[in-house]
Amino acid sequence: MKPIEHPNATSTGLDSQVKLHVADIHKSYGSHEVLKGVSLTAHAGDVISIIGSSGSGKSTFLRCINLLEQPNSGKIFAAGEELQLVPDSRHGALKAGDTKQLARLRTKLAMVFQHFNLWAHMTVLENIIEAPVHVLGVPKDEAIARARKYLEKVGLKNVEDKYPSHMSGGQQQRVAIARALAMEPEVMLFDEPTSALDPELVGEVLRVMQDLAREGRTMVVVTHEMGFAREVSNHVIFLHQGRIEEQGNPKEVLVNPKSERLAQFLSGSLK
Amino acid sequence: MIDANLMIENFPSFLGGGSGQAVLSTSDGLILTLELLFYSLLGGLALSIPLGLMRVSRNRLVSGAVWLYTYVFRGTPMLVQLFIIYYGLSQFEAVRESWAWTYLQEAYFCALLAFTLNTAAYTTEIIAGQIRNTHWGEIEAAKAMGMSKWLMMRRIVIPAALRRALPAYSNEVVMMLQGTSIAGLVTLADVTGVARRIYSDTYMPFEPFLMAGLIYLAFTFLFVWLFKLAEKRWLAYLAPRKH
Repeated sequence: MKPIEHPNATSTGLDSQVKLHVADIHKSYGSHEVLKGVSLTAHAGDVISIIGSSGSGKSTFLRCINLLEQPNSGKIFAAGEELQLVPDSRHGALKAGDTKQLARLRTKLAMVFQHFNLWAHMTVLENIIEAPVHVLGVPKDEAIARARKYLEKVGLKNVEDKYPSHMSGGQQQRVAIARALAMEPEVMLFDEPTSALDPELVGEVLRVMQDLAREGRTMVVVTHEMGFAREVSNHVIFLHQGRIEEQGNPKEVLVNPKSERLAQFLSGSLK
Repeated sequence: MIDANLMIENFPSFLGGGSGQAVLSTSDGLILTLELLFYSLLGGLALSIPLGLMRVSRNRLVSGAVWLYTYVFRGTPMLVQLFIIYYGLSQFEAVRESWAWTYLQEAYFCALLAFTLNTAAYTTEIIAGQIRNTHWGEIEAAKAMGMSKWLMMRRIVIPAALRRALPAYSNEVVMMLQGTSIAGLVTLADVTGVARRIYSDTYMPFEPFLMAGLIYLAFTFLFVWLFKLAEKRWLAYLAPRKH
């Protein structure tokens, strides 16, 4: 994988545009604290990889960002607004104070899931135009044009009328990426996008993600792919037991880890 | 021996015609059976979608109330339900004096009411089951795309549940077709009612009931075939890949 030049990689000063800022997220399941204060800031064009062993809380953290998981405390700023969070009387975690605001922010933080989560009863085209038409209010013909544009971008041809179950995992994940792109989001969240794929299908999805990074899209990626973390992302966060153990430029962090745990983790992963 | 002439002569009356009348001229026989079937299915389906949603509600009171309804209507024979509505309700003066009596004194209306409530109960459980079967990942995707709960229900959960409900619902339709045959027991001349009338006129039981059976059989075949087409159209995504 070729290294990527990030337009904003060095300009982290005041002028750079913060697309996403998540501060001090705590999350517990019962008495088990999964996240113990995790923060993240993504500027325009940043590609942030979140790595860590399973159980480190990396997926939970990503899912807290768009409130698929309810954090117990923390702040979330996205697309220029702070998400209003209020206590949820049912179980003490936080929930959105304004469901309309949450919906609006979610449209700007498109998510790609480990298991694709395409809508099975819809064709590829229907999957991609669904939210643009019914959530964003984009006219249908415009949404279809958009869908075709993004299908081409993810390298899929002649699949518009297929159902997800009739496609390979790699194709399904690329449709899911096109579906997320069709929202024209500010930030894209990837939750282990290649973990459910057969090894020979991982490459096609990573290549699409690399293209997106090269376009300057802001991405937060939970991944096990060290090659991707090293070559494509400009910032890497290593989570261990719910805390950020180490973070920084992947060229440094992944090559010369300061933390013993990261060194251990890296020696355990082959690449 | 089977008297084929008797069957042929009486065939028009099964279709709602009669001696000296044009075939299909009245709401009798086959027309009545199909009317009762379609109106009750239509009403039942319309009721069962909101009821199905209530059945899976997290509010115990709401889901419990719907559970009680479906339990009672699935737990008692439709014939008993029809008798309670047609004969039972008239026993109460309050019912006889209310506005509803205009309808409740009509056998046709009572049959329609009983059939509708019965099929709605079964269909509610079919739909609720399929709503519960919705893959959690599809719900998460809908949420992550910024869909509101109702939009998600309307666009993702219900359309998918209705599609997956098709095979079970085709059974329900066939069961209801056979079920309408009890309408004859409250004075209505549906297909079975016509057969009973011919039997009592001619003292020949075999031919009219054989005729009635053949009519039900033909329509069962038609409905099963229509549902197969519908499944091909709307459940294509569950079918194996063609190439």
